[in-house]
Amino acid sequence: MAPGGQVAERTARQEAVLASLDRQAAALAHLEQAAGAATGDDRALAWLTVAAHLGRARRDHAPLLAARRLEALAPELAAHQARLDDAQAAAQAAVDGLAPDERAAAGRRLGRRVAVVGKGGAGKSMIAATVARLLARRGRPVFLADMDSSHGTGFSLGLGTAFAELPPEALEEHGGSAYGWRLATGLLPHQAVERHAVTGPDGVRFLTLGKIGDPAEQRARRSVVALRQVLGGFAEPGWDVVGDLEAGPTTPFERYHAFADQVVLVVGPAWRSALTARRLLPIVEGTPTVLVANRFRHEPDHPGLEPAVRVPFDPAVVAAERAGRAPLDEAPGSPAMAACAELVELLAGPAPAKEGSP
Amino acid sequence: MRIAVTGKGGAGKSTVAGALARHLAARGRTVVAVDADPNPNLGLCLGLPKETVASMEPILNALLASGHTHDDPTPEPDELLARYGVAAPGGITVVATGKIERPSNACLCCGSHNTTRQFFGGLPAEGRIVLADLEAGLNDLLWARPGPGDVVLAVAEPSAKAVEVARRAVSIAQGMGVQRILGVANRAGSVDDVEALARALGVEVLPVAEDPAVEAADELGVAPMDRDAASPAMADIARLADWVLAPVASGAPAS
Repeated sequence: MAPGGQVAERTARQEAVLASLDRQAAALAHLEQAAGAATGDDRALAWLTVAAHLGRARRDHAPLLAARRLEALAPELAAHQARLDDAQAAAQAAVDGLAPDERAAAGRRLGRRVAVVGKGGAGKSMIAATVARLLARRGRPVFLADMDSSHGTGFSLGLGTAFAELPPEALEEHGGSAYGWRLATGLLPHQAVERHAVTGPDGVRFLTLGKIGDPAEQRARRSVVALRQVLGGFAEPGWDVVGDLEAGPTTPFERYHAFADQVVLVVGPAWRSALTARRLLPIVEGTPTVLVANRFRHEPDHPGLEPAVRVPFDPAVVAAERAGRAPLDEAPGSPAMAACAELVELLAGPAPAKEGSP
Repeated sequence: MRIAVTGKGGAGKSTVAGALARHLAARGRTVVAVDADPNPNLGLCLGLPKETVASMEPILNALLASGHTHDDPTPEPDELLARYGVAAPGGITVVATGKIERPSNACLCCGSHNTTRQFFGGLPAEGRIVLADLEAGLNDLLWARPGPGDVVLAVAEPSAKAVEVARRAVSIAQGMGVQRILGVANRAGSVDDVEALARALGVEVLPVAEDPAVEAADELGVAPMDRDAASPAMADIARLADWVLAPVASGAPAS
């Protein structure tokens, strides 16, 4: 490529980084404003949410400060860091001012953020969609994102191949972004969910990547950065966020799970599935990880990979998958669904008493 | 001849690719097996020991470790094959083109898919069979870009998800001009499963029976061919080898 071309490309990439900083700042301002306006119990929850969001934002910003290819943006990156530091201090002060019981109650309502990873066919989508619906049944608002460029999550949720993509108006072409597209300028993550997420069973709000092989070409490419931007920036108080990642280590390697506070690593009975899990563990290191053995039949399982939850092999689930329907609808009382409920307890704590649900 | 094996994760791509390679090798063909999955395990289905599979050096990581940078010209595929190919049972040579284990300076986007392309399209395929086991999903199929002279096997198990992914794989392969496309109804429990897949794909479909011997081999981490080469699924895959090797008249597969 001609040197001129390289310079132009680098500028476009830097432009994309600056736009992303602006987008993050706008999303943060929205959260702070909402927290400032919140009253009663919602106030505690809102500030706790801002503080948690800033924890992730500061963690993700640190590598940019050190990236040599972004040296030219040093002033802007430093300014953003200062903005995050100030915001973190303010949020922390607000959190520190809470009474202990107020804080504990807010902590129980704090949104859970879960990324589901594992080998292809291990049962990621079944687990992700079922967990999302079970969280929603507790009365919690839930956003489920399908980050797989092949169909899967929609079937397990109960929507089949229904259209649940970000529509064209939510996307914009930009040469500096990976794959050439990003979330439309001015569209904040919470607005993207409000306006464009499909409402699935149990009220789960659902967005998916475009799928490879769609008649309108390139839909997967167009939506991948945008949906990541929605996932990373979406932090509405009390909302649980579940992301179903693509099979294997590629997208965890690219930190598609960065939006999450917890990783669910799904392992099937095959030795290869355990090998995949062993490869994934160092990649997701740093995010608390729950190991789930799916289609579990018998001990001993995989040496050194002690599962926290065993979802038993269940012909009723197999039948639901075969038909492309949600196991939660087809086999609500099955042992596999009971194990998924156990997983939800592990992720989000014991189910609240009925009248206590927000 | 070049064969790309594609499908949803967990559909049985590696099981089919591994046993097919073994059958083709047993019939005297020279087979190069390309494990294009960044989470490689094809070696296991070819009959390599678990330890070898877990520690197989992928081309990209090996190159970077040897001081290669993204700016250096990449060696010819045959040279890479000589350097990094691993000998598997049956005289098969296997290479992993995209493995990663932990964050490093290996860059997946310019690495794994490009090496897949390089090996699938760039490795001379005259007088030998280049058989690629692609990454789960369809992204790798776009990169491998099989053409009119190539074979694509779209593997599905009898779940709505896997059938949908295979359907798309067939349509992508057709769009690329591939003429020899076969649907593989893996874990087929009945004729209905095979017919349902054939209806969804609109191409010829052959079954690979649901087989406890394969499941047991998977749990143990050994090649189904080594556990029971005569089991129903392995016998079905022998018929896939017949299909692959059948003389081709005017671009259409002989049945």
